[in-house]
Amino acid sequence: MRKLIEFRNIVKSFDGQVVLKGVNLNINENEFVTLLGPSGCGKTTLLRILGGFLDQDEGTVIFDGQCIDNVPPYKREINTVFQRYALFPHLNVYENIAFGLRIKKMGEDIIRQKVTRMLSLVNLEGYEKRNVTKLSGGQQQRVAIARALVNEPNVLLLDEPLGALDLKLRKEMQRELKRIQQEVGITFIYVTHDQEEALTMSDKIVVMNAGEIKQIGTPLEIYNEPVNAYVARFIGESNIVEGVMPADYKVRFDDKNFECVDFGFRPDEPVDVLIRPEDLTVVKPRDGVLRGEVKNVVFKGVHYELMVETRTGTSKTVQMHVVTQHDITNEQAGEKISANDFYVDLDDLQNKEMTDQDFVSIANAQAWDEENRDLSLTRVTHNIEKAPGVYTITFGTDKGTEVTVNVHVISPEYVEDARHNIGISALDFFITADEIRESMAISTDLKTWASAEAWNLQDDSSVEITDVRFDFDPADVKEGSYDITFATRGRVFKVETTSRLEVGDRVGLAFGPGDIHVMHKEVTDA
Amino acid sequence: MKSFVRMSYPYLLWIALFIVAPMIMILLYAVTRSGSGTITFSFTLDNFGRFLSDTTFLKVLWTSLRIALLTTVFCILIGYPAALFIANLPEKRQTLMVLLLTLPMWINMLLKTYAWRGILMNFDLESEIKVFIGMVYDFLPYMILQIHTAIAKLDRNLIVASYDLGANRWKTFLKVTLPLSVPGIISGITLVFLPAVSSFVIPKLLGGGNYVLIGNLIETYFLVAGDWNFGSAISLIMALIIIASMYLTKRLDRSAVEE
Repeated sequence: MRKLIEFRNIVKSFDGQVVLKGVNLNINENEFVTLLGPSGCGKTTLLRILGGFLDQDEGTVIFDGQCIDNVPPYKREINTVFQRYALFPHLNVYENIAFGLRIKKMGEDIIRQKVTRMLSLVNLEGYEKRNVTKLSGGQQQRVAIARALVNEPNVLLLDEPLGALDLKLRKEMQRELKRIQQEVGITFIYVTHDQEEALTMSDKIVVMNAGEIKQIGTPLEIYNEPVNAYVARFIGESNIVEGVMPADYKVRFDDKNFECVDFGFRPDEPVDVLIRPEDLTVVKPRDGVLRGEVKNVVFKGVHYELMVETRTGTSKTVQMHVVTQHDITNEQAGEKISANDFYVDLDDLQNKEMTDQDFVSIANAQAWDEENRDLSLTRVTHNIEKAPGVYTITFGTDKGTEVTVNVHVISPEYVEDARHNIGISALDFFITADEIRESMAISTDLKTWASAEAWNLQDDSSVEITDVRFDFDPADVKEGSYDITFATRGRVFKVETTSRLEVGDRVGLAFGPGDIHVMHKEVTDA
Repeated sequence: MKSFVRMSYPYLLWIALFIVAPMIMILLYAVTRSGSGTITFSFTLDNFGRFLSDTTFLKVLWTSLRIALLTTVFCILIGYPAALFIANLPEKRQTLMVLLLTLPMWINMLLKTYAWRGILMNFDLESEIKVFIGMVYDFLPYMILQIHTAIAKLDRNLIVASYDLGANRWKTFLKVTLPLSVPGIISGITLVFLPAVSSFVIPKLLGGGNYVLIGNLIETYFLVAGDWNFGSAISLIMALIIIASMYLTKRLDRSAVEE
C-alpha cells in the first residue's frame, strides 16, 4: 500500500495548553484508520489540521508527497463529515449533495448523474426534494456522507459522525460506513472515543492520549497486545495486575510464578500483567491456578460477569458495644438529655484540635424538651488528658440538665500490611440499638462510628474500605458486643462465564500462558 | 394553564379598545359621506374614487413609495456589510458595536430630525435628497440589527463545511451566508419600509413644506381640513398597500429559502 498522508512532528497548543505533543503518523491509501482516544486527547485537533481548518504550531503535513501546510481547506482533496452534520438548511437533499459539484461548475447532467449515484450509495433514493432539517439523525448523517463523497476526495475525514445517534442506529451505520468505504475504496480517517466502533470498522487503530500516540496497530494487535495498561484499559474489559518478570517466559504476581509467552524484559522488571475477562475459565477450586470467592454477579445477556476475589484485602476488626441509653430527666426544667460513652484515638487528641462540638457528635449527645424539640448543649466540661486512660465528660443545657459519660482514650493498633502497602485503623465504639435500627446505610454508618480509615503506607493517600463484615441483624440487634471487620479491596478478577454462580461461591480460576499478556509499565512524563 | 389565559384578558381588552375599535371606526369613516355626523350613515365609495381619480394624490402616493423603496434599498446596501463586519468581530466587541448602533435610538426622533434640519440647511439640496438622508439615518439601525442577528446565529460549522466542499470565501458568502441571512433582510425591510412609507415628521421637517408624502396627506386631512372620512380612506389605501407589500416580501422570503 502506498503512503498517502504523513504527519511529521505535529505540535499544537491552545492558550498555552499543549494539545498535540509532536505527533508522527503515516496513513496509507485506501485504509480505514481510526483515531481513538478520550475527549481532549487531541484526535479532533489532528483531523482539523489535516482538513486545513487549524494551523499547527510546529511540524509538517505531507499529502501525496507534497507539503500542504499552506494549502487552504477549499483547495485540499479532502472532505469532512462533521460531528453535527452541518447540512445547509436552506438547501434540499439534492442541492446539499450537489453543493461541491456546483462550486466546480460541473454540467447539470453530470451533477444529476453523480448525485443520483451517491443517493443510491447511501440508500436515500427518492429523497432528493426533501428538506434536510426534517430528516432523522441517521438520514442527515447519510446526506452528510454523500455530500462529502460526491466530490470524489482521496480522503474522507469523519469527526465522531455517529455520536448523536442511538445505539441501534449507530451499529447499523457502522456496518454501512464500512461497506461504503470498501465500495468507494478511499482512505477514511475516523475519529471516535468509542472503542467498539474502532474495533469493528478499522484497518488500523491509532490510540491517543493527552496529545500523544500511545499505540498504532490493527484491531487484533491493539486488543491482544496492548503496549501498556492505558491502552489495555481503553480497549475492552481488562484485569490488570502489577507483577515482575523474574526471567523470560515467567511472570510473578500475587506471590506466585506463572508461565507466559512474553520475553525481552529486564530481570525482575516491574510490569503490568493483563488478563482479559474472557480468557479466565471458572473451574473447581482445587483445579484453579487461582482460588477465590465470587463477590458479585451481573447478568449480561449472553454471559455473566463475575467479580472473583482471589486475595482478601487488609482488614481490622473492632468491637461494637450495643448499649441501652438511659435518658436523664430534669423534672424542674422539663428537659431530657442523653449521651454515649465513647473511645478517642490518642493520636487524634494530640494531632487534631478536638472541639466540644466534636465530642458532642462522637458521644451522640442530645437534649430535648417536653415537646420533643432539640435543645442546644451549651456547656461541655471534661477532664480528658493527652494520655491513655478513662476520663469523664459532662454535657449540659442552659437550664442545668446534665449527663456525664466515660471517655476512653486509647492508642489503637493499626494494621499495617507491608506486602501490599496498606494500613488500616478503626476504633471500638458504643452505640444504641435505636441508632443501628434507624441507619439507612449500615456499612457506611459503621465506618463513621468506628472512624475506620485505610491508607497507602507509601504515600499516605486514602484507600477505600470496600468491605464491612458483621454478623448481626441491624433490624433486630440486642445489647452486647459484636465484632465488626473493615477491609480494603483485595485482588479481584473480572471473569466472563456462561455458568451460573452465586455470590459467596468458592471457585478456581484457570488460564494458560497464552492468556497472559505482559506489558511494560507506562512511562508517564510529569 | 387557565390562570395564564386569564392573565391575557387585560391585553385582549387593550387590543379591543385601542386597536380593533379604532380600525372599525376608520373603516366606517372611510365608507361614509362627510357631514353625516348623525346616527344615519350613508354608505359611499366616493372617498376612494376621489383619491384614485386625482393625479395629485396618486403622485403623492408614488413619491411615498419611491422614497420608502429607495431608503430600504440603501439601508440594505450599507447595512448588510456593516452587519457582516460586526458579526465577525469578537463577541465583546460585537456587544459594544450593537450598543453604539442603538445609542441614537434612545434620542427622541423629533430632536434628531431637527438636528438634521440644522445641518442640511447649509447645503443646497433637493427636498427629496434631504428627506432621503433623514430617513436612511433614522431607519438604518433597524436594518443592521436585524441582519446582524440573522448572521450571528448562523452555525459556524456551515461556513467550515462550505470551505471543506471547495468553496472559497466569496463563494461561501454567496451560497451560504447570504441565503441564510435572507430572513434577517426581510424583517429589516419590514422594519424600514413600513415606517418610511408612512412617515410624516421627517418629510415635514426636512422637506421644507413643499415635499408631501402620504403621511403628511393623512395628517392634513385629519388635523387641518377636518375631513376624517377622506383621511380614513387614504389610511385604508395605505394599509392595503402595506399588506400587499408584506405579502410579497413573505413570498420572496419563502422562495429564497426553498431555492
